[in-house]
Amino acid sequence: MKRADAEQAIHERTIAIADNQASVTITGLAKRYGTRDVFRDVSLRLEPGQVLGLLGRNGAGKSTLIRCMLGLEAPDAGTCSLFGAPAQRLPDRVKMRVAYVPQRTEAFLWLDVVEFFTLMSRFYPRWDGNYVQAALAEQGFNPYDRLRNLSPGQRQQLFIIRALAAKPDLLVLDEPAASLDPVARRALMREVVSRAGEQECAVLLSTHIVSDLERVASHVALLHAGGLLLHDEIDVIKEECARAHLPVGIAASDLEHIPGLIAKRRTTNGWTVVFRRGSRDAWPEALHAQAGNGEALGLEDLFIEVTA
Amino acid sequence: MDGVDFHIQPSAPEPIYRQIVEQVRRLVAGGQLAPGAVLPSVRDVAATHAINPMTVSKAYSLLETEGVLERLRGKGMAVAAGPAAAAEDARWALIAPALAAVARQARELELAPGEVIARLMRTMEDTTE
Repeated sequence: MKRADAEQAIHERTIAIADNQASVTITGLAKRYGTRDVFRDVSLRLEPGQVLGLLGRNGAGKSTLIRCMLGLEAPDAGTCSLFGAPAQRLPDRVKMRVAYVPQRTEAFLWLDVVEFFTLMSRFYPRWDGNYVQAALAEQGFNPYDRLRNLSPGQRQQLFIIRALAAKPDLLVLDEPAASLDPVARRALMREVVSRAGEQECAVLLSTHIVSDLERVASHVALLHAGGLLLHDEIDVIKEECARAHLPVGIAASDLEHIPGLIAKRRTTNGWTVVFRRGSRDAWPEALHAQAGNGEALGLEDLFIEVTA
Repeated sequence: MDGVDFHIQPSAPEPIYRQIVEQVRRLVAGGQLAPGAVLPSVRDVAATHAINPMTVSKAYSLLETEGVLERLRGKGMAVAAGPAAAAEDARWALIAPALAAVARQARELELAPGEVIARLMRTMEDTTE
């Protein structure tokens, strides 16, 4: 084997090993509905123990991204693998390690609570029946209620209990906060972070309720206008993203020279810009004199500034 | 000290790990946390506030690197028996934001730096007498 070939082989093997260690690897993913791009060229990695908050406005494509990621929908371009296996053809040994709670849970409506969990327990070899018993008792479920007669929030709770009982290595929750009350949400967040911290479970949580994410997320990705606008550790995002106000006299084209510009918005008395700090030297002097260092932003303000 | 004794505001612009770091620094510098005092476990803090345990570990590790905390074998983290210099550094770090605020306000008011420093000295002399 030539030396270049040998190096190439080593390189490919290294990538393969790295992919196996990652819980999720998405590369260049794109999805179109008709002529409309839902998203394009989305790449991200999720490692064991990370809690990734996927943020985005309604209709930004969060659920579609999740469904493509899990192989439930075919992307138009790009690849996704879970624990090194291609999402479109997941072997059973990988499926067992993945638990997904969709936004709307309208399956198995004819079953009662006990029947539902009996059925589910057969799919997952690591099933934790004691956890199910404890969680059902704690949340006051009647074992003989049919799923049909439960509220959407209660049904979602059942599917979340199912997901956690499976002891997954990858937990994917699509808008879990949408129909849960604050008490149930807080309990869920506590459970999610303890799974991530103690069992090295990777968690992906999509939501437009920012306050839940701020507690539990280790990483945040913001899906907007067809792409991942921000994707980083939550602490890095909070420390680096800043907002500044600039007066009316500045032309829109000048703003493009701001290093690390993320968003700009016209206001009644000028501009509001959001940018990443850290490359201050490259700022045009006149702009920097006006903008200063910028003010730090909470995640909610950042979300609004960037996606409004 | 308990997990509940930390005041954590998840929605503040300041990252949660920084909030923890600042609080421990202040409590140690002010003497409320004496050398040898044991900090609540990562698990306790994380569970109490429903926050990511990695965030708490990050804060503790940073404080360990700074010499504010030391890792006890099998017993978590405790306040280090640091030298006096470390305590002085810590006190300077605590006043840094206030100094930055004075600097910013002086700039906004277009006051000469030399004069600001002179007046600050006078203010400090007045208050010590």
